Amino acid sequence: MTQVLKREFIDAFKSVRSILILLFITYVSYQSAKFFDQNQDMINQFAEESGIGTGALYTAAIAFVVLIFGFLFVFAISHDLINREIEMKTIRLLVTKTSRIQIVLGKFLGVLLFWVVTISISFAIISLITGAWFLKDYVQTMIFLFYIISFVLFISTIISKTKLTMFIGIFLGIVLPIIGLIAVYSDKWYFIPFKYLLPYNYLEGSIVMTFIPLVIGVCFISISIMLLNRKDF
Amino acid sequence: MEMMNVKQLTKKYGSTNVLKGINLTIYQGEVFGFVGHNGAGKSTLIHILTDIVNKSGGSFEILGIPDQHMNQVKKRVGVMPDISNLYENMKGIDFLRYMGELSLANSSKEYYLSLMRDVGLEGAEWKKIKSYSFGMKKKISIAQALLGNPELIILDEPTSGLDPESAIEIRNMITELQKSGKTIFLTSHNLDEIEKICDRVGILSEGVIKKLGTPRELKIAANESKEAIGLIIRTKPVLTADHISQISDDLDINISFLHTKKDYTFLKVTSEDGLPQLSKKIMESGILLYEVKMEEQSLEEVFMNTKEE
Ligand SMILES: Nc1ncnc2c1ncn2[C@@H]1O[C@H](COP(=O)(O)OP(=O)(O)O)[C@@H](O)[C@H]1O
Ligand SMILES: [Mg+2]
Repeated sequence: MTQVLKREFIDAFKSVRSILILLFITYVSYQSAKFFDQNQDMINQFAEESGIGTGALYTAAIAFVVLIFGFLFVFAISHDLINREIEMKTIRLLVTKTSRIQIVLGKFLGVLLFWVVTISISFAIISLITGAWFLKDYVQTMIFLFYIISFVLFISTIISKTKLTMFIGIFLGIVLPIIGLIAVYSDKWYFIPFKYLLPYNYLEGSIVMTFIPLVIGVCFISISIMLLNRKDF
Repeated sequence: MEMMNVKQLTKKYGSTNVLKGINLTIYQGEVFGFVGHNGAGKSTLIHILTDIVNKSGGSFEILGIPDQHMNQVKKRVGVMPDISNLYENMKGIDFLRYMGELSLANSSKEYYLSLMRDVGLEGAEWKKIKSYSFGMKKKISIAQALLGNPELIILDEPTSGLDPESAIEIRNMITELQKSGKTIFLTSHNLDEIEKICDRVGILSEGVIKKLGTPRELKIAANESKEAIGLIIRTKPVLTADHISQISDDLDINISFLHTKKDYTFLKVTSEDGLPQLSKKIMESGILLYEVKMEEQSLEEVFMNTKEE
């Protein structure tokens, strides 16, 4: 498993797309944190009026990027996480050497690690500027990404054509955040499944609620493993 | 010791029954050759044994481990699936290292370099696999099957598409591996090759193993079941059709004259029982007899006949 993880992680850093995304997120975090830092008065005033902690304001830019672009970015990097190896038939080499479950977990964790690094860099920059590490926001962002990565893994498992997952990835990457955010505030019956299946609704609320996306993510991973166990390569 | 035991193994793709009940045992230290025409299901069997596809029915054991627990034996079995499954963007050595780490093989750089040398890929270590020729890809696929010093090595057409020289190298390598105690299961289209390097052969046809045995056994069996035996006789002067009809009058066997070529006469006989008598008659008639040879059926003919049966 660690070998697949390592390979997936290293490959992420070899792709132009993922480096650009990493730089983009880092840049946005840096600029926004710097901006707030230079406008302390404004921030304090806003925090007072809105009741939101100042920490949330500093990390707002990362949160915004992940909530709005998270699906799109993860799809952009990993839409072909599983189906590419099946399409290229390189999976045949992997399955002769290690178990299918280890391949899937290795790939998932490799991508997750890439995002942990990316997000940690941003939080580290904010921490350098503000002198504080905003743990709650950090954990929430990671849970959100955990959900997204497992969802992308699932899509890459059930759809076997990489060209198709690319288009579906772009489509879902744009549509899901919109539906997800609307569903949080809508009472329309047809939004209800999205409200509970997508992670947006769980951002506010109790600690237990916060971890629900993690559970849904584990379900996506488990179903993917089950499907791949039955598959002929 | 049994390295592999396959029982009533079946595989269906949709409604097509590709394998209809394979029964096979592979013993330690042997080179087993699996032959069959294109699309017979050789690769399918290998895929099932190596967890690439799922079986439809039946069961098998590898190294004593039942098929439900194949993950436990993967580190002890080396596999070369059909070609074209390589990471084209990796350098040869990096590819081997990645595959090696998956097999928990000795991970020193020297080990991988020496393996590349062993399969004849010296000089190509640092080149990307996509720049490799077909033969080179084949060789590196074989190399990755040898990683981690596996006890059982499964090779799907290891020499097909190789130039004769490379094919000989690979065959020698297989023989060397056998000498070092490995068990090898391979498929091939080349029946000469099978005959040269395999201890036993199985012929797959119509989803079952139609024939199984040493190449010699299969050829003998084929000769026995034949209605007529080809006979080649070298004499001086050469035997003509007239000679034959004179001689055969007094014999119990049916002889038919085919043709002559230089000193050789080609005949067909219904049984080998009359051969001593025939030789005696020839000598008595004052013709010098140099050689009497029964035409042996080649493995190729055995194979072709299996298809027709
Ligand atoms: N994934 C698959 N789906 C459907 N049919 C397949 C699949 N793989 C192989 N087959 C069919 O199974 C048969 C056996 O193929 P294969 O095992 O590759 O034969 P061989 O290796 O003996 O040439 C062929 O008719 C082939 O078309
Ligand atoms: Mg084949």
